[in-house]
Amino acid sequence: MANVSESRARVSFAVLNALVAVILLVGVFGLMHPRFWAVDCPAALLAGVELVSAVALLARLPWALRALSIAAWVTFVGGLLLVALIVLTMVFLRSVHGEDGMVATAVSGLVLALLVPYTLLLPAVQLLWLKGRVGERES
Amino acid sequence: MTLRGLARVLLAYALALVVLSLILWRALRLDRTRAPSGTTIVSLWRGGTRVARSVVTGQAEHVLGLESAVPGSTRSIEQIVDSAPILALNRLVFAASVAPVRDGVSVSYQGRTAYVTPDDLLKIEAYESNLQLGPLQLVLGVDPDKVLASLAGELKTTPDELFRHGSFRRFAVRGDQRFPRRLKDSDVSLAEIKNSVQSAARYLARNQKRDGSFRYEVNAMTGGDAPDYNYPRHAGATYFLARAGNQLKDQRLFRAARQAGAFMKDHATLRCGAHSCVGEGDEVDIGSASLALLAYVELLNGGASEFRDAALDLAAFLRSQQLPSGDFQHFYSVKEQHAINLQVEYYTGEAAFALSRVARISQAAQDLDGARRGLAFLVARPALFLGAHYFWGAEHWTCQVLEDLWQRAPDRRALQFCLDWQAANRNMQYTSPPERPEYDGALSRGPFVSPRLTPLASRLEAAVATLAVARSAGIDAAQLALLEAEIRRGFGFLLRYQFSPGPSYLMPDPRALVGGVPGSPVDLHVRIDYPQHAGDAWLRYLELVEVR
Repeated sequence: MANVSESRARVSFAVLNALVAVILLVGVFGLMHPRFWAVDCPAALLAGVELVSAVALLARLPWALRALSIAAWVTFVGGLLLVALIVLTMVFLRSVHGEDGMVATAVSGLVLALLVPYTLLLPAVQLLWLKGRVGERES
Repeated sequence: MTLRGLARVLLAYALALVVLSLILWRALRLDRTRAPSGTTIVSLWRGGTRVARSVVTGQAEHVLGLESAVPGSTRSIEQIVDSAPILALNRLVFAASVAPVRDGVSVSYQGRTAYVTPDDLLKIEAYESNLQLGPLQLVLGVDPDKVLASLAGELKTTPDELFRHGSFRRFAVRGDQRFPRRLKDSDVSLAEIKNSVQSAARYLARNQKRDGSFRYEVNAMTGGDAPDYNYPRHAGATYFLARAGNQLKDQRLFRAARQAGAFMKDHATLRCGAHSCVGEGDEVDIGSASLALLAYVELLNGGASEFRDAALDLAAFLRSQQLPSGDFQHFYSVKEQHAINLQVEYYTGEAAFALSRVARISQAAQDLDGARRGLAFLVARPALFLGAHYFWGAEHWTCQVLEDLWQRAPDRRALQFCLDWQAANRNMQYTSPPERPEYDGALSRGPFVSPRLTPLASRLEAAVATLAVARSAGIDAAQLALLEAEIRRGFGFLLRYQFSPGPSYLMPDPRALVGGVPGSPVDLHVRIDYPQHAGDAWLRYLELVEVR
């Protein structure tokens, strides 16, 4: 029973990580022009890490969980930085532009709401699941 | 990571973010509603140049009083109401730290302080600069190079030295605001509109050269001209002048239009296959031909019969460029003598409008049919809107075709299209409050950049055309009222910023600029299409009211 649920979790994480990678790759390299290294490099790194972990999980490779752990940490830390950057930019622009910055604050809030599930929630759940597995093994 | 560990990390993160945000907010914000702090900047302007400045605390009524008695002088008194530090981490953050049109910048360096006020920043055209960040072009509050150069000049140092060692602040001022005009939409009267349209047309006539061409783009802040020229815009300006001359029965305007028409006919007419076309070089576009045709038709309506053959020939050229779908091939290779099947925005609408107008003169069924098919093509939207051929935001000619064709070939689908488009435009229209009063009625371009006048003016041309058709088509009163309010509020914004006379103390040659319509509150250049579109929208509205 435990194996079935672990297997389901692995497949779910693999699919979700692959989805995140595809969204990143299509969004940044398919829709965004022109190219800009400051966006391309982090996006490529993140997508690469997510894809590797997805493939490893699906193929049941021995290092799959380590790859998942790395992907989750990279995404989680990157997510925290990105959210902080957006929030501080919102505050900065609102301070400079006053009421004129209201709409931008609302739009940035929407962007944040769209980002959080992929950049914070998913990796946090993955890290908790990984910790749970270690706990089970130790007990 | 355990659940408790995760919760701790997130809590600490959120707390740190909130604290940082509060610190940033408190440090950087300005309160523009405060009473003046005591520092007053008194500037004396003469001939568009600042000739004296005095920064005082307390009473400033008599400061530079004697100097201001010299004829042609304007004394400007700006009281600082609040200031906040600028994070001069780098030039990008510096540029983003100033709110355009509202903030001035000061710097303290080696015990001295220099100021550039909002007037100074308008004068040196420092607001809303484009900054290249990699391949991305950002529009930021100010051009840091211009601001630093100006401040460094005051303090006799170099911009780099000042940027490294200066302590920068931005400040808000309260002053004797001369520009834009204080005008509510309830003040938008027919007399006001008539005066403005006359003034816009006279601007063009005043800035016409001997050969019939115009000063293409006049920089109000320097008095200088742009070196380039554009035939579609020349034709558009000619069209407006001819219309204004006819409608206002102003012979001077009509003569200027006739001269501008002759310039196109005699200096810019080329052969494109069996027909004539308008432009220069190896390739021409149908935009020039379409707008030239519109101008010729207006000139013919005013009695300038010498344009009849040229008009009919241009109509034949436009028809030859039309595709079976109703769309047009927008370019023609003069060098290789063949049509080029490429499309850009505006031109199909312009061509359809021109064919509709010329059909009244030619009485040719094929002109009317060409216009009708062009309009039908423009308003047919595929199910997947994003895949549409033309951009939704650029439809101002389409709705003028609708109006012109309505009595002869009514198209209810086109009417619905134009009503929908105006509803979309209303969603982009600023309302004060919460927006600042001077921007009421303008179209938003985004929260951090000032609205432009011409995109609004061209949409208002279409809005008035749509209103005219909507009235005769029996559209319900609520929709008509929405359109009327949109138009009135939009006119309010245009009238506020038209140079009547505008910030004349900043201009070296204010008389040349009277009646001109600038690009935006910070772009005080007048290109010939700016007064054309604003003036034509006003003219259409006057025509509509007169018809009623």
